[in-house]
Amino acid sequence: MQDNHFNVILTGDLRDGIDLSAAISSLAAMFKTSEEKIQQTIAKAPVSVKSNVEAATAEKFKTAIEQCGFVCVIKAVSETVAATAPVSAPLPVPVNQDVLASASEIVESPASFKGLSYKIEGRPDYSFLTVQIPANQTLKVEASAMATMDTHLVMKTKLKGGFGRFLTGESLFLNEFTAERAAGEIGLAPGTPGDLFHQYLDGQTIFLQNSAFVAATMDVTLETKWQGMLKGFFSGESFFLIRCSGKGDLWFNSYGAIIEIDVEDDYVVDTSNIVAFTDGLEYNITRVGGYKSLFFSGEGFVCRFTGKGKVWIQTRSAQAFTSWAHFFRPV
Amino acid sequence: MKVELINRPGNTAAKITLQPGEHCTAESGAMIAMSGHMNITTSTHKKNSGGILKAAKRLLSGESFFLNHFDSVGKEGEVWLGSNLAGDMLALDLDNENLIVQSGSFLACEDSIDMDMGWQGFKSLLSGESMFWLNLKGRGKVVLSSFGAIYPIEVNGDYIVDTGHIVAFNETLNFTITKAGSSWLQSLLGGEGLVCKFSGRGTVWCQSHNPNSFGHALTPSLRVRKA
Repeated sequence: MQDNHFNVILTGDLRDGIDLSAAISSLAAMFKTSEEKIQQTIAKAPVSVKSNVEAATAEKFKTAIEQCGFVCVIKAVSETVAATAPVSAPLPVPVNQDVLASASEIVESPASFKGLSYKIEGRPDYSFLTVQIPANQTLKVEASAMATMDTHLVMKTKLKGGFGRFLTGESLFLNEFTAERAAGEIGLAPGTPGDLFHQYLDGQTIFLQNSAFVAATMDVTLETKWQGMLKGFFSGESFFLIRCSGKGDLWFNSYGAIIEIDVEDDYVVDTSNIVAFTDGLEYNITRVGGYKSLFFSGEGFVCRFTGKGKVWIQTRSAQAFTSWAHFFRPV
Repeated sequence: MKVELINRPGNTAAKITLQPGEHCTAESGAMIAMSGHMNITTSTHKKNSGGILKAAKRLLSGESFFLNHFDSVGKEGEVWLGSNLAGDMLALDLDNENLIVQSGSFLACEDSIDMDMGWQGFKSLLSGESMFWLNLKGRGKVVLSSFGAIYPIEVNGDYIVDTGHIVAFNETLNFTITKAGSSWLQSLLGGEGLVCKFSGRGTVWCQSHNPNSFGHALTPSLRVRKA
């Protein structure tokens, strides 16, 4: 991070004589987002609404936000790193500032947070996760995801799912990193370029698609889930689910950006675009449309979710990419 | 039909919201998710227009033979579309104008848009990369995808673009396929090969990366195709 870059921070205070709801609605209009989103953001104040921008840009944001009625301060990036809890859902950038959207948003764990402290950089295109492991604690990490670590971290490899699952291709190699005696830092880079997501599990259950798992703390139980012949067979080559439950931190990644979808009654997702979904959703592998669509739509089988819950989908799929690359294979 | 582009520019997805009764036509395989009550039909042609001949022409153009039609039954519904390569998308409103789209960049369009393969004559045979172009005309929204970023270039006079970098252009522009350097030998050795020379007035949308160059860069590390 360069010294001449600045964060624009919303203090959460109103300027004198300004009505809160009016200020929220004008801010929502400026950022082209809903008023609820703004309200959520304000509730987390002080928050950085724009990070790592140059002085002139930061000044522009500050003027615009102050016109809406909120007090706003600019801090150099180096000062704010430790001081603020940035927004976990970054505000969309106003349209005329479109180019600046490429400045990476850094997500850090909020100060009041129950789990391990972590930092995700390079979202959403090239996310990289850094986790601080406290002394004598262990982190479960997907095999080969480790990119950097402190020298005193000790690694052990485990096979999850057992030998039976190993034969069906439904097992999971995990590396366990233990910070012996002193706290340590580990940098994790998932295999696919894309987004990273954090969830703190507190009794809930999340199902992950097999390649989406990045890391979890020890109290999170991971089990591979047998799909049944039909679901497993038709849903693509190596699609199986990891059931994550218990209490603790869970990080998962995607190929491409992650979109969170609230399922109200039912929703259809291409099997290769599923990242994760919450417990309580029923899912079925079905075809879309008629039999003609099954063979010719290019969609093949899809997953139909019913019930109430959340589904995370990814905007790119490894299968679509490899079938594109197939054309370029040497003959 | 409402189009929203999300997570631009690297991992763009298009969220298309349809009111009951609205139709949208998309490239086959582009759907990543949709509301459960959306209806999907697959056909070789645009609804109520053309037929197998148009489909055959589209196959030649490098697009897939089939198109998917989405419509929302009863209530509002949404469809998410993605592309296979990393990159940006572009949503355009056509107002009874013609847009020529490089085959492969087409993602979706509204029902009111007529789609045909534009035969650009034998000169485009030489361009190697996309012999054929899709010709979109009518009034409505069009969504295009690209490999890398998309940037528009306003042409007034002459402009040269490498054939692999073209996403779309206004039909008001004329184009000729030409060599990049002063001599054919130089052009071929320079790796630029053939380029498109546009003349007239209009906009050309270009993509920052050339999918073919990327594909060929992968070739050495890919496994040999089995018969």
